[in-house]
Amino acid sequence: MLLQRLFLAAWLVPVLAMIHIGSAYQAPFAYEPVGPRAFPLLMLGLLAAGLVYLLIHPTPVEHDPDEPPPTAQSLRKVGLCIALLLGFALAFEPLGFIPASSLAGLCFARLYGGRWLPSLGLGVALAVGLYLLFDRLLDVPLPLGILAGLEI
Amino acid sequence: MDTLNFLMQGFGVALTPTNLLIALIGTLIGTVVGLLPGLGPINGVALLIPVAFAFGLPPESALILLAAVYLGCEYGGRISSILLNIPGEASTLMTTLDGYPMARQGLAGVALSLSAWSSFLGAFIATCGMVLFAPMLAKWAIAFGPAEYFVLMVLAIVAMAGMAGDKPMKTLVAALLGLFLSCVGIDANSGVYRFTFDSIHVADGIQFVVLVLGLFSVSEILLLLEKTHHGQQAVKTTGRMLFNLNEARRVLLINLRCGLGGFIVGVLPGAGATLASALAYMTEKRLAGPDGQFGKGDIRGLAAPETAIGASCCGAMVPMLTLGVPGSGTTAVMIGALTLYNITPGPLLFQNEPELVWGLIASLFVANLMLLVLNVPMIKVFTRILAVPNWALVPLIAIITSIGVYAVHATTFDLLLMVAVGILGYVLRKLDFPLSPLLLGFILGGHMEQNLRRALSISNGDLDILWSSGIAQGTWVLVALMLALPLLRLWRRRAARRPAEPAALA
Repeated sequence: MLLQRLFLAAWLVPVLAMIHIGSAYQAPFAYEPVGPRAFPLLMLGLLAAGLVYLLIHPTPVEHDPDEPPPTAQSLRKVGLCIALLLGFALAFEPLGFIPASSLAGLCFARLYGGRWLPSLGLGVALAVGLYLLFDRLLDVPLPLGILAGLEI
Repeated sequence: MDTLNFLMQGFGVALTPTNLLIALIGTLIGTVVGLLPGLGPINGVALLIPVAFAFGLPPESALILLAAVYLGCEYGGRISSILLNIPGEASTLMTTLDGYPMARQGLAGVALSLSAWSSFLGAFIATCGMVLFAPMLAKWAIAFGPAEYFVLMVLAIVAMAGMAGDKPMKTLVAALLGLFLSCVGIDANSGVYRFTFDSIHVADGIQFVVLVLGLFSVSEILLLLEKTHHGQQAVKTTGRMLFNLNEARRVLLINLRCGLGGFIVGVLPGAGATLASALAYMTEKRLAGPDGQFGKGDIRGLAAPETAIGASCCGAMVPMLTLGVPGSGTTAVMIGALTLYNITPGPLLFQNEPELVWGLIASLFVANLMLLVLNVPMIKVFTRILAVPNWALVPLIAIITSIGVYAVHATTFDLLLMVAVGILGYVLRKLDFPLSPLLLGFILGGHMEQNLRRALSISNGDLDILWSSGIAQGTWVLVALMLALPLLRLWRRRAARRPAEPAALA
């Protein structure tokens, strides 16, 4: 309950900031009665009102029996997973799709309890297989990165 | 007899070898995606949008693919519900109630085939309803002006909150966040950059694919870290695989009833399969009375929600095609896909793109039949897919999701934005905020604002236009009813509690 209130309060701050930013929007020359700021401000206003209502009357969170309440260990894992996702996103272009995905695949598989060798195999197989499928067969261009010299 | 002609024309489109093959592939992929824990129709359809593009599929084939995947996902979801007692998503929750006990009693094969049959009947009824009513609705919808559309979209948003049961406010807040996010980017009417913070990457708005994949795939990856059902064994499918005639006769009436009900709920904007299946189960439970074995493996308790899910999936396509207002999260994704093809769903779709609409309707018939014929003998194969461990599944989801996002703009920024959206989605899900309304709000937001501004331009700023026509007034009445619904429920709960309290005190 406290966590929820904290989150709602933290959410209210950017909403209020957005209202402040949004109220400055003006069309340089207007030829219609409703300008660019009315609709977003209306939505933000209602959103803020809804958040305040929830702050006062928070609804209890129902836990799925499948999902135990977070522990320190699972939160650490979630943090690691987020770091991994960010790392993958940042490495996607500079390293190239195949090396980045192999690495990410390996790390993800390890994080979710795979053993070293199968995880490595899976990462490389997925990276090469999906590259061939999307880049070669489906014409979705994927970055080659450090493998650019090879040009398979 | 125009309708029949058009339908024949539609079958002409659906039965071309390419489209048949696409429907087949779509149903198979859909079933596998639906089977996998945590992946539902929204993920399946969203992941396939870039693929459909990459193949250079014409719009009607792309839509057939997405619709086939949608139906397949709903189909696959029931396999994990019945054999593992894990509902793939909210709508199949009701299936587990009687499906899993049946599987425990050694009737897994019967449960699977009966649910397949029920869902086929439901989808069949709904598709027939679609053939009958969609063209009528489309003709009628041409009378809708911008003001009426605006009110209709307000209804869609409010209906979601009103029917969300115990957390209307959270649903509303999620939808409003989606509506706000749709405003980010350059304003088409005035050229003002809104909420972009001078970043060129969001100048044309938040990409729809980024939002969907972030909200549903990335947050799912994070949630999979905590789930405790690793290694749960699927119930073995032994014994009789097919239901017998006697069982089919016992549930036939339920099939018809729930099929009709599911279709109606599916057509309502904003409602969808979850509500349809819950309503169907509760109604049948009440109708069966004390002699029902509901919750202990009653075949009626299995047939009712399955028929309703099948029917509401097809029903949800009616508002999507005729009004351009999605009836569920998944149809919202499909609308997004259509707009990528530069096709605006709405009443004119029936006139301008008859091949697309009727081809889609005809292929719904085809895909349903395929699912029924294919899946009964392949249940054994599918149960093996359930054994895929998370450590192999997550890298696959993560990499395909990233490819899907990268394919839109080819920028690192979109990948980072996807992760950020995913984290937000994860936190929202942890705090019990529903995510489909957010997506629906995002899809509706642009249209809502445009229609509001257009309406007020027509009336020169006079707000009266929003409630001047009969259609608008009728819709406002519905909006008011939907808003009153949660209050009514609250009042009834209080009234029910009051007499109980003194007894507890004494």
